[in-house]
Amino acid sequence: MNRHLPSSSYFRPLLCIDEMYVSFDTSLGRVKAAQNICLELHERETLAIVGETGCGKSVIASAILQLLPSNASVKGKAIFLGRDLLSLGEREMADIRGQEIAIIFQNPSLSLNPIMKVAEQVAEPLQIHRRLPRHRAISKAEDMLSRFKLGDKASPVMYPFQLSGGMNQRVMIATSMILSPKILIADEPSKGLDQSLARQVMKELAGIKDEIGASLLLITHDLLLAKEVSDRIAVMYCGEIVEAGSSAEIFDEPLHPYTKALLNCLPEMGFKPIPGSSPSMIDPPEGCRFYPRCRERLDRCLLSPKMIKVESDDGDREVRCWLY
Amino acid sequence: MLSGKKATRYAIALFLIISLNFFIPRSMPGDPLTNLLGEDISLTASSVQELRERMGLDRPLSQQFLDYWHDILRFDLGYSFHLHRNVSDLIYDRMKWTLLLSLPAMVMGAILGTLLGARAGWKSSALRRTQTGFIMAIYCAPPYFISLIALYLLSYKLGLFPLKGFYSTGSALDIAHHLFLPSAMMTLFSLSRNYMIMKGSVLQEKGSLYATFARAKGLYDEQILFRHVFKNALLPIITLLALDFGFILSGALFIEIVFSMNGMGSLIYDALLSRDYPVLQGSFLIITIMVVSANLLADLLYSYLDPRVRWQ
Amino acid sequence: MEKECDRPYHCPYGGILFRKVSIIGLVIFSSFLLAAIFSSFLSPCDPWDRFEPYLPPGQDHILGTNDLGQDILSELIYGSRVSLIVGFGAALMATTIGSSIGLLAGYFKGMADEILMGITDIFLMIPQIPLIIVLAAFLRPSFWLIALLMGSLWWTSTARVVRSKALQIREMGYVQSKRSLGFSHLHIIVSDVLPNLSQLVMPKFLLSIASAMIAESSISFLGLGDPSMKSWGMMINFAFSRGGFINGYWWWYMAPGLCITIFVLSIVLIGSFLEERDESIMGQQ
Repeated sequence: MNRHLPSSSYFRPLLCIDEMYVSFDTSLGRVKAAQNICLELHERETLAIVGETGCGKSVIASAILQLLPSNASVKGKAIFLGRDLLSLGEREMADIRGQEIAIIFQNPSLSLNPIMKVAEQVAEPLQIHRRLPRHRAISKAEDMLSRFKLGDKASPVMYPFQLSGGMNQRVMIATSMILSPKILIADEPSKGLDQSLARQVMKELAGIKDEIGASLLLITHDLLLAKEVSDRIAVMYCGEIVEAGSSAEIFDEPLHPYTKALLNCLPEMGFKPIPGSSPSMIDPPEGCRFYPRCRERLDRCLLSPKMIKVESDDGDREVRCWLY
Repeated sequence: MLSGKKATRYAIALFLIISLNFFIPRSMPGDPLTNLLGEDISLTASSVQELRERMGLDRPLSQQFLDYWHDILRFDLGYSFHLHRNVSDLIYDRMKWTLLLSLPAMVMGAILGTLLGARAGWKSSALRRTQTGFIMAIYCAPPYFISLIALYLLSYKLGLFPLKGFYSTGSALDIAHHLFLPSAMMTLFSLSRNYMIMKGSVLQEKGSLYATFARAKGLYDEQILFRHVFKNALLPIITLLALDFGFILSGALFIEIVFSMNGMGSLIYDALLSRDYPVLQGSFLIITIMVVSANLLADLLYSYLDPRVRWQ
Repeated sequence: MEKECDRPYHCPYGGILFRKVSIIGLVIFSSFLLAAIFSSFLSPCDPWDRFEPYLPPGQDHILGTNDLGQDILSELIYGSRVSLIVGFGAALMATTIGSSIGLLAGYFKGMADEILMGITDIFLMIPQIPLIIVLAAFLRPSFWLIALLMGSLWWTSTARVVRSKALQIREMGYVQSKRSLGFSHLHIIVSDVLPNLSQLVMPKFLLSIASAMIAESSISFLGLGDPSMKSWGMMINFAFSRGGFINGYWWWYMAPGLCITIFVLSIVLIGSFLEERDESIMGQQ
C-alpha cells in the first residue's frame, strides 16, 4: 500500500493545526501533554502521527474535536474549512462531529454501548445529522455493515458484547464512515488486534477512505503500519513534533536522532532499545526534550530547538533539531 | 428466565417469611392464646377452652405448623375478634384502597424521579442544584411529617382539600379530590428516593467511553443522555428501586394514617391500639408477600431488559 | 455567576460548592451532637416540669408548652439525646453485624458466601417497619429494644459493600503471598482487611443513623415508642393524638419534625461527600 502522492502542496490543506498546546490539571501537577503542535492535513492524504505510548498523540486527536475532559486546557487553532474548531461552541461542534470529521477510539469494545444493537449504533449518525427515519437509517446501516463483512456472520440484530474486538472495531469504523466525513481520525486502530487482523482492518479502512475521498489522520505507535498506510508521517516525542515528512523519506533518511533510534528498535534493525526512560510530562527536560537520551547531542541542545524546514523532493520536510 | 439459584432463593425467602409469621406469636412472652387472638377480648372460661382447641394449642407444635400452612394456602389468615370478621376479608377490603392510593403514585414517582434525577446527574446548573436540594430535603424528612404539614396548610388552613377519608359523596370526582393530596405526598416521597438513586447512577455512567463516543458521533447534550446513558444507568438500579418498594409501601401506611383514610394504614393503626394481633400478623404477611413479589418482578424485568442476561 | 452550560464534561460536578455544603452538614451534625450531650445546660427547664398547658410560643416558653404544660423547647433538646442514642445504637449494631457478615462472606467465599448472601437477600426483602410494628406490638418495648430491633434489620447494605471490598482485598497480591507464607486467616483479616474497611464503612454507618432515626420516629409516631423517653417522634405523636394538630398548634410538631429532617439532611450531606471522595480515590487508583 505504498503511496507516493505528488508534492502535497498541490492540494490545499484541509485541516491546519497551528501552535496547539494541550495541558491537563491533575492532582499531581500540570501535565503538558502537547506543545506547539503545527500540522497540516491535505485532501485525500493519510497523515500518521507516530510515537511511543504516552507521548501525547491521542491527546491531539481528541483535542481537535473538543472531546477532552474538563480538566484539559487547549490553546491554539485548528482551522478546518476556514473555521477554527477550537473556538466553536458545543452545538456547532456537534454538527461537525461524525459528519465532517469522524473519530474512532482505541478501545472498540468499550466505545460501543453494550446494550444497544450494533445496527442501531451505526445508524445513529444518519438519524442525528440527516434526520432519517429509523427504519431507513437501519437499513442503510445494515448495508454499510455488510460492506465490512459483518452482514451474515454477525447479523445486524447483534449486540457489541456478542462480537469480538476486531468486529467491534469494524463497527466503529462503519459508524464513522457512514456519513462520508472529510476527515477520519483513527486513534490506535490496531491496538489489541493481532497483526494480520490489524492489516486487514486497515486495508478495509483505506479502501473505503479512497472511495469517499476522505483524509485520514492516523495515530499509532506501530511504525510499520504507519509506513504501509500513510503518505506522510509526523514523529512525536514527549509532547512535541520532532520530525515530519513523507513516509518514504522518514524511513529511508531519518533526520532527528529520536527517529533514527526509533527505527533501530524495529525487529528488522536489530531491536536496539533507546537508552534511558521516557521523561515526565509534568516536568520535562530543559531545552530539547530528547537531550538526556540523545547520542548526537551538543551543548547547544540545552536550548529548545525550533522546527526547521529541510530540502526535499517529496513534499514538505521539517525537523526540530540543532543538527540541521 | 430466572436462574435456578435465584428462583430457589425467592422460594426459600417466601417460605421462611411465612413460617416466621407462625413463630412470632408463639415465641412472644405471654399466653399464646392471647397472642393469637388479641388482647382485651372478653371471653368466658368455656369459650377460652373451646378456642384453645380450635386454635390447636393443645396439639404438638409440628402439627400446628402444618395446620398453619394448610390455612395459609387456603387464604385463611385467621379471625379478628375485635372487628368480628375474617382477617382476609378485612385486608382485601382495605388493600384495594391502599393500592388505589399507592400504585399510581409509585409509578408516577418512579417515572418523574428517574427522569429528573437523570437530568440532574447529567449536568449541573443553579436550577438543578436547587431542585436537588429541595428533593433532598423531602428525602430526609419522615413521610408522615411532610403529610402533616401539607394537611395543615392546604386542608386545614386553606381548605383546598378535604381533611379525611377516601370519599364523602362517592363520585369519581369526589374520590379524586380526596385522593389528591395523599397521592401527591406519596408521589413526592417515591420521587425523592428514585431521584437520588438515579442521579448517582447517571453520574457514574456519564464518564464511560461509549458516552464519549456518542458525543464524537455528533450527539448533542441530552441526546447522549436519553439515547445511551439513561438505559445503561437505569439497569443496575432496577433491583435497588424494587427493594425500595417495601419502604415506600410502609410510607403509604403512614400517609394514610395522617389523612385518616380507610386503608391498610388505619387498619394496622387501629389494630395496634387495640392489640388485635391476628390483623397485625395478617397484614404483615400480605405486605411482605407483596414486597417479595415486587422484587421477583423486578428481577424478571431486569433479566428481560438487559440483553447481556437475556442472550446468555 | 454560572450559566447553563451545554457541555456536560465541562461542568465539574459539585466541586467547591459541594464541599461547602458538606461542611455545613458537619456543623449541623456536631451541633445536634453537642445539644444531646449538653442537654441539661442548654435547655431552659426540665422537660418533665409542668407549667400552663397549650401555651403558644412566647417569652417564657420559646416554643410554647404541650398538653401537659411541659416546655416544648426543653423537650426538643432532651429529645435529641433519645433520638441520637437510638440512632447510634441501631447504627452501631447494624454496622457491626453487617461488617462481620460481609467480611466472612467475602473473605472465605464458597459455601459461607452463598449461605450468608442468601440470608442477606432474604433480610433485604423483609419490609422493616411493618416487622418492627408487629414485634413492637407484642413486646411493648423500651427504646433499647427498638434500637436492637432496627440494628438487626439494617445490616444488609453494609454487608454487601464490605463483602465486595473483602473479595477485592483477598485477591490482592500481597495478601495472597501472606497466605502462602503461612499467616493465619485471623492475622490477615486484622492487619490487612480491617484497616481498609473503615473508610468504606463510615458513610454506611452515618447513613444507618439517619435511617434508624427516621424509623424510630415513625414507630414512635404510631405510639409504639417508649413513653418514658421523649424522642422527637414521640413528640410528634403527642402533637397528633393530643389535640396539637386539630387545634393548629403547629409549633408542637413542626419543631421536632424539622429537627429530624435537618439532622438526617446533615448526615446525608456528609455521607454522600464521603462516598464521592471514596470513589474518586478508588478511581485514581
